Amino acid sequence: MSEKATQKLVETYRGAQSALPGAGGWLARRRETAIDAFTQTGLPHRRLEEWKYTDLRQVLEKAILVPAPAHDGALVLPELHSATAFSAIDRYVLVFVNGVYQPGLSQLAHLSKGAELCALAEVLHEQWAKDIVERRFDDARQAEDIVDLNTALMSDGACLRIRKGVKLDKPLHLFFLGADAGASHTRNLILLENEAEATIFETHMGEVASFADIVTDVALGEGAKLNHVKLQDESSEAIHLSTMRTRLAASSKLSSFTLTLGCGVSRGQNFVLFSGEGAEANVDGAYALKGKQHLDQFCVIDHAVPGCTSHTLFKGVLDGASEGVFQGKVVVRPQAQKTDGRQMTHALLLSRDAAMNAKPELEIYADDVQCAHGSTVGELSKDAIFYLRSRGIPEAEARRLLVLAFLDETLELAPHEDARDALKLLVSDWFSEAGL
Amino acid sequence: MAAVKETVETVREAEKYKYGFFTDIESEKAPLGLTEDTVRFISAKKNEPAWLLEWRLDAFRRWLTLSEPTWAKVTYPPIDFQDAYYYSAPKQSAKLESLDEVDPKLLETYEKLGIPLTEQKMLAGVAVDAVFDSVSVVTTFKEKLAEAGVIFCPMSEAVKNHPELVKKYLGSVVPTSDNFYATLNSAVFSEGSFVYIPEGVRCPMELSTYFRINEAQTGQFERTLIIADKGSYVSYLEGCTAPQRDENQLHAAVVELVALEDAEIKYSTVQNWFPGDEDGKGGVYNFVTKRGDCRGKNSKISWTQVETGSAITWKYPSCILRGDNSRGEFYSIAISNGHQQVDSGTKMIHLGRNTSSRIISKGISAGQSSNTYRGLVSVHRKAENVRNFTQCDSLLIGDRCSAHTVPYIETKNPTAVLEHEATTSKISEDQLFYCMQRGIGEEEAVALIVNGFCRDVLQQLPMEFAVEAQKLVGISLEGSVG
Repeated sequence: MSEKATQKLVETYRGAQSALPGAGGWLARRRETAIDAFTQTGLPHRRLEEWKYTDLRQVLEKAILVPAPAHDGALVLPELHSATAFSAIDRYVLVFVNGVYQPGLSQLAHLSKGAELCALAEVLHEQWAKDIVERRFDDARQAEDIVDLNTALMSDGACLRIRKGVKLDKPLHLFFLGADAGASHTRNLILLENEAEATIFETHMGEVASFADIVTDVALGEGAKLNHVKLQDESSEAIHLSTMRTRLAASSKLSSFTLTLGCGVSRGQNFVLFSGEGAEANVDGAYALKGKQHLDQFCVIDHAVPGCTSHTLFKGVLDGASEGVFQGKVVVRPQAQKTDGRQMTHALLLSRDAAMNAKPELEIYADDVQCAHGSTVGELSKDAIFYLRSRGIPEAEARRLLVLAFLDETLELAPHEDARDALKLLVSDWFSEAGL
Repeated sequence: MAAVKETVETVREAEKYKYGFFTDIESEKAPLGLTEDTVRFISAKKNEPAWLLEWRLDAFRRWLTLSEPTWAKVTYPPIDFQDAYYYSAPKQSAKLESLDEVDPKLLETYEKLGIPLTEQKMLAGVAVDAVFDSVSVVTTFKEKLAEAGVIFCPMSEAVKNHPELVKKYLGSVVPTSDNFYATLNSAVFSEGSFVYIPEGVRCPMELSTYFRINEAQTGQFERTLIIADKGSYVSYLEGCTAPQRDENQLHAAVVELVALEDAEIKYSTVQNWFPGDEDGKGGVYNFVTKRGDCRGKNSKISWTQVETGSAITWKYPSCILRGDNSRGEFYSIAISNGHQQVDSGTKMIHLGRNTSSRIISKGISAGQSSNTYRGLVSVHRKAENVRNFTQCDSLLIGDRCSAHTVPYIETKNPTAVLEHEATTSKISEDQLFYCMQRGIGEEEAVALIVNGFCRDVLQQLPMEFAVEAQKLVGISLEGSVG
């Protein structure tokens, strides 16, 4: 631990330690071991295989790592369509500004019976929260080490528990706004008990140089269903590090979709662990980047038990000097027979300076499985553009149509109908604004 | 009684790996271990010029600063690089004029390996350079090749007779600083083949090298350098075997290919080093660096490999597509059985315009083996209109083996069209049932289906090799069914 950013983060922890939620309890001890582990490993860098394309150490070198101050004065939402994308949908809203829950801005009237929603500090005494925070998916996974940083510094977050058999009547919308420069460490805990169902939207926005470190831990009981739609539209100065870890019990189902339209440097990690047979996970996403934006999607699906199905599809378009990364891994453990694992990634490069790196991996220890992965990178087909132009469609329009059609395949997978329509509109706007 | 039982077992073992015999020939070795003196000893033994010794020493000093790579998906106990012999040569009378003077025991060995040097001359029309431990024993067909202007000789001879070519190209594709094993090889390499095809010449026959590690505790570090000058063509075959031993033997070779304008090199390997016994004891550690440089416009390099042996394989035959319109190909079958570990694949580095590459990899894992495909396709900013197609299929036989695919795709140019696809599956019960109900035994049926699975790659092999490879596929999978 010699480099500056790691040191600064450790110092931040030492300074804030006593004021963080859970002081004096089990979490305080957990934070200590986490910060020790983090001090040992330091911030991940390029020489670690799983961070090969995103050097977080370098990215954070000049970032502001002290916590963002509590916001003062009136709040102004960025003038982006993303800010209001889900407004038309009847939903519960939870607003976090600079990583801090804002009850005044949230709309939470009467959650359905059997659904409990509270801030991180209020849930720490409960056993389920402790269980969910303490578990780790895979000790050997380098990419999971960074969760220690969040565990040590997490200060707020949304904690949702849905009781057995209860269906959350409306989607829950978590809105994260970066209003002032600085760092925030958010931890969301979500527990869906057996046969419970919920839909969660996440929006991340901000026009400041923020460092958002978000970990969302999800546990799905038997037969539970979680739909998750994440929208990210941040400024090109924002650094976004998010990790979602989902454990699926038998016959449960996760459908997660991420749309990224703006970020500075973003690393989105998705860990899925099957712990019961017959479960299903869909982890999909789309992205459209420009300027010098950098997006790294990292996805590990761990088939630890037999008979589970996973599907991953990420599609993106890269303009300007942006860089896209997809690193995926499907692991099939020795006993996980009858696994069906599919993983696809496709990227379109729209400009000379854009770049794409893809690394879809399969790691298979069982023989009776169906596993496939595919990856393509290319530019728009000249033949297709010519075809459309020969039908009287101007070139710009032709390109727009083709790109939208390209992204449409994955947008279709967004698990909530109204949200899906909203996302499609956003993507279409992105193209008008990008002037493509 | 126990002794008899032991013998019976040994015989049975030997049947499994039919190249597992050991030839008792007196040999001359460098002192155990690796120091600067070892490097000097090897260089002196070969009467090398000063520049080459300096080159070796430079590599050795660099090697001391390097650490072993650990990123591959293989596990093995740490290697004691000081507990090995880095040079071993069969002792014999000084100079050989013709085949008749070669130690008959050596020739016998080669006969057992299926390369009767004398007869093969007539029949196959394949020129063979046979490397026994560290020394090249004989190169057949020399005169006929000389007529065409082709130089095909052991590396040590090339250093003496064609120093300008060696000096110009040695280390130009795989520099001494490349990686841990390549650097080690640069320091202690003792033999290998050197091929130079002059401008406009189509090499009149297939060139072939046979490698064999014979002595105990020896490592084999050969270095092959093939240069195809403008407009030339050469097809090169390589085969390898080693005796069966309890300890692990190290094989760290370097192969460098240079294809100039309009030239084409086809490099085929059938690798059948000893894979270790049933309990995973012994076997060859195959840590090889192979790289081809398509330096000229319209050049082409094609790698075909059939990997059936070795306890551990760590090998990535690569192509640097520097010349415009150049093409790289990689066809591979990697079969692992027992406790074998394979981490193999390729790198296609697209630097020139309109370059294309094709990767077909078939991995078959059986027993308790682990089989990894690791490949890189990289397109640099100035490489316009690049085309790549990658397909890697894995077949799993049994439920204790594993198959992994780790493709890296890096593009910095929008005009590139890259495709990658991979599948993993097992032999379908239906196919097996169909064969068996036609009276084909289970093992034979599996071999048949696997051969079908590998067909795309087998087709790329030169005729003589294709037949051998097909049989090898069957043999390698013996004992994996039922």
